[in-house]
Amino acid sequence: MPKTILQLQNVSKIYGNLKALADINLSVNAGDWLSIMGPSGSGKTTMINIIGCMDTPSTGSVILDGTDISKENAANLTRIRRDKIGLIFQQFHLISYLTAVENVMVAQYYHSMPDEEEALEALAKVGLADRANHLPAQLSGGEQQRVCIARALINSPQILLGDEPTGNLDEENEGIVVDIFRRLHEEGVTIIVVTHDPEVGDVAQRKIILEHGRIVDDIDQSATFGEALRLKGKGRV
Amino acid sequence: MANNTEKRNRHGSRRKMYIRMVAGSLIRRASRLIIAVLAIAIGATILSGLVTIYYDIPEQLGREFRSYGANLIVLPRGESKITRETLQKLRGLIGDEKIVGMAPYRYQTVKINEQPYIIAGTDLTEAEKNSPFWYVEGSWGNSADVSQVMTGHEIAQTLGLKLGDTFMVQGVKYGHHAEASRQDLSAEENQKRDSARQNFHRNFTVKGIVSTGGAEEGFIFADIDMLDELIGDTFRADVIECSIVADAEELSALSERIENEIPELMPRAVRRLTQSQDIVLGKLQALVLLVTVVVLIITMISVYTTMTAMIAERRREIALKKALGAENRLVMGELLGEGVMLGFIGGALGVFLGFEFALRVSLNVFGRGINFQPVLIPATIAIFIIITVTASIIPVRRVMDIHPAIVLKGE
Amino acid sequence: MFLRMITKTLIRQKSKMIMIAFTVVLGVSLSTAMMNVMLGVGDKVNRELKVYGANITVRHKDAALMSDLYGLEGQGVNDKFLREDDVLKLKSIFWGFNILDFAPILEGRANLNGSEVSIIGTWPEKHATLPTGEELHTGLKSLRTWWEISGEWLNEDDNNSVMIGNLLASQKNIHVNDTVTIDGKTFNVKGIFNDGGNDDSKVLMTLPSAQKLLNLNGRVSDIEVSALTTPDNDLARKAAQDPRSLSPEEYETWYCTAYVSAICHQIQEVIEDGVAKPVRQVAESEGTILNKTTLLMILITILSSIGSALAISNLITASVIERSQELGLLKALGAYNWQIVLLVLAEVMITGIAGGVVGYFMGIGFAQIIGQTVFGSYIEIARMVILIVAVILFLVTLIGSIPAIRYLMALKPTEVLHGK
Repeated sequence: MPKTILQLQNVSKIYGNLKALADINLSVNAGDWLSIMGPSGSGKTTMINIIGCMDTPSTGSVILDGTDISKENAANLTRIRRDKIGLIFQQFHLISYLTAVENVMVAQYYHSMPDEEEALEALAKVGLADRANHLPAQLSGGEQQRVCIARALINSPQILLGDEPTGNLDEENEGIVVDIFRRLHEEGVTIIVVTHDPEVGDVAQRKIILEHGRIVDDIDQSATFGEALRLKGKGRV
Repeated sequence: MANNTEKRNRHGSRRKMYIRMVAGSLIRRASRLIIAVLAIAIGATILSGLVTIYYDIPEQLGREFRSYGANLIVLPRGESKITRETLQKLRGLIGDEKIVGMAPYRYQTVKINEQPYIIAGTDLTEAEKNSPFWYVEGSWGNSADVSQVMTGHEIAQTLGLKLGDTFMVQGVKYGHHAEASRQDLSAEENQKRDSARQNFHRNFTVKGIVSTGGAEEGFIFADIDMLDELIGDTFRADVIECSIVADAEELSALSERIENEIPELMPRAVRRLTQSQDIVLGKLQALVLLVTVVVLIITMISVYTTMTAMIAERRREIALKKALGAENRLVMGELLGEGVMLGFIGGALGVFLGFEFALRVSLNVFGRGINFQPVLIPATIAIFIIITVTASIIPVRRVMDIHPAIVLKGE
Repeated sequence: MFLRMITKTLIRQKSKMIMIAFTVVLGVSLSTAMMNVMLGVGDKVNRELKVYGANITVRHKDAALMSDLYGLEGQGVNDKFLREDDVLKLKSIFWGFNILDFAPILEGRANLNGSEVSIIGTWPEKHATLPTGEELHTGLKSLRTWWEISGEWLNEDDNNSVMIGNLLASQKNIHVNDTVTIDGKTFNVKGIFNDGGNDDSKVLMTLPSAQKLLNLNGRVSDIEVSALTTPDNDLARKAAQDPRSLSPEEYETWYCTAYVSAICHQIQEVIEDGVAKPVRQVAESEGTILNKTTLLMILITILSSIGSALAISNLITASVIERSQELGLLKALGAYNWQIVLLVLAEVMITGIAGGVVGYFMGIGFAQIIGQTVFGSYIEIARMVILIVAVILFLVTLIGSIPAIRYLMALKPTEVLHGK
């Protein structure tokens, strides 16, 4: 029986009159690759905020790696986030005045100790060893996103949380990123990807679909997963 | 032991990363930071420049007020006169740096064309320093050519003298009394009597004609040593006119010291000048103070707004760092470091520009250099570090309350 | 659509625009205040300098100077006098408005308690209504601000009282409220004054008393005049030598400028047999002080104006660059460069004008605070300041937008959209 890494129980999030999330129940096992899909306004972003320890639900509980985080204050959430969650953004969000390796080191710095060698290793893993001392402006979109992934992984998080990680990339770079995700999946990293791109959504063992703040579908894609991965992850690293 | 070393290394490494981040931010964002540094430097220039001027104004303007002439008249006490030793003692007591001019005067009644006039013997160089308001047609006399003298405008008019004209002065030597022309003697005999041993006469050339609109127009001005020699006496001054850089209070303290240490002298401050100078200078100082304060407040606010505008563009970066797990205090620390560096660079640049500015102003307005207050260097830098840091932290505090989630989707 | 975009930006970007407007307000108010103070300071300081007393004296043209420096007897006794009736005519000259204070002086010698002393008859105070209907308040009291008085000043018609100089008083052991006999007439000592100069050994009384004592009814020996003057320049110096040497145009300029020589010239036109001379000690020195003060204020004004100009232009640059993303988007949507530039300029200009108007009035407020605090009077508002400030503001906003505009021109829409 695989370990449950994340469990949402009766989670609701209410903004004024708007129910962004309504009574969500979801359980994710360690090592799973999950994609969350849904149209705009379906509650995807709220879901990420809550899973990514950037927001707390109005009601219900969120158990991350055995701890209930639903009632924690902002400072504790920050601590939990930097220990357990690796974030990847659609807009990459690299610090413009720091080099690739320094951007990775920033995450180490906030977590514990900056270690340049380790950061360089992480960059090598995403195929950017030779670009380590470039500034973000000198990197292509795909390269920037790979730096972002290296940064997300540097502190060995429990969950890699991607918010439209391929949204700003062309097809080739999308392939490269998916390929990196595949390798991480093989190493046992839990991956949660939020996307509205069906092709990207297909590349996951499990896909849940949100609509109006509710889970309307929960699809097991184990069978098609391998094939989708082969199609998408054709890029070479 | 090993644990300690490791801990120290960890600290070193964290600090190194901190420096790397702050330096990276400062160096690689240089083009944008120029705006901030410029703003701070402008502010610091105005601050250090104006404060320097403000501090120096009393001294500088005080010297300008000396154009009103002597503000301390020193008379001998009783019937005695002032000797050269006493004059030197007085000069030593007041101190050279305070003295603009210090001229002894000796008045001697003489006859020109058998009419009585007064010749004032003085140190002409010092008298010139004392009396910048005199209008001298021709030029000032000096101790090098003692037969060239200056006459007051009134005398010149009465005697019909023009520049370069020569006239003869007659008189009785010191210690002798003039005898009235005796009716029973002929004019020739009278003249003979006058030129005897107890009398003197000498020809002078008019080198300058003095107009002041005051009593000075009725005197002849000549070198005091020449006058002493002419009347056969040693240096004895009737009065010393001093032009001293001091306000009423300093001047009365000085008068008291003179009375105590040189009892044979009786100093009198010229109230008309001292009181009036205090009033006008006080107003001017208040003016410059108020102007300085207004300018400073406005400048600091505008430096603050510029800094605030600069920091607003970093909202997203701060949110990102928070999303990566940065605690508020760490983010604050980084902004603080940047603020300190910016304040330091801009402040240091501004201090020197400000001094340069103050010097230029002083040279232009007063024709003199200016005294810099060294304490302004650290003070200005510190003030602008405080402004930049406050301007960085206060707007950021608001950002701190914003969810790190703003990084998720481009706002 | 253009207007709609401008209004939207102004409303939506409220906080940033408010910040620019705020800085403009500060900068404009600073420049306005400083320029008004600078233009007004000459007049104010000139009035302050009046504490030094008269800068013009009027005498009979044939009168010899009474050389009485430091109590030394000079030659000649003044036996030529001016007419008291002429004195009030001073206010009727072209620059009459600039004549702030004046007082006639009648000097003579009289016997006080057995020894000969100098006496001065004057108008301690004078209140009169001029033929023009103007109320006049003047007198020697305003010309001797530095006097330290124990007891009281004489009133306009204190014909039975005198004031005594402190040297004479201590010599004769006279105190306030004592009675003294001068030439056989008894007077009450109303006050003892400390002049710190020659007057300390003199007796001061009203003009009628002195005229009666000296038997010189309707006569005065000189008139002290304190007038607001313009510091001398070359023209004034040339005119002071001989007004007839000027060309008609020069004469016109000279006559219609408040040079001390021009005022003297005009005084001579109304005072019969009078010669008006500037008291160079006062006239010349106040020119020096005035010029220095004005120059100082000009330099400070220039510095602070440059400072605020740079601050405004700096902030505009900062805020426009900050909005590059949004403006880049417009570019991506197909806007021409000039359209964006026009948009940015229009926004900044509107903000600048709004801030400028508010700042101007604040600046006038600051100027008045300075005027009231320092000089106790309002500073006259110079209209030309509006124009100067407006031009500077226009240039500053334009220049401030240049780096931002250049940045926008070089900006590629793709860079913006793919978010660096």
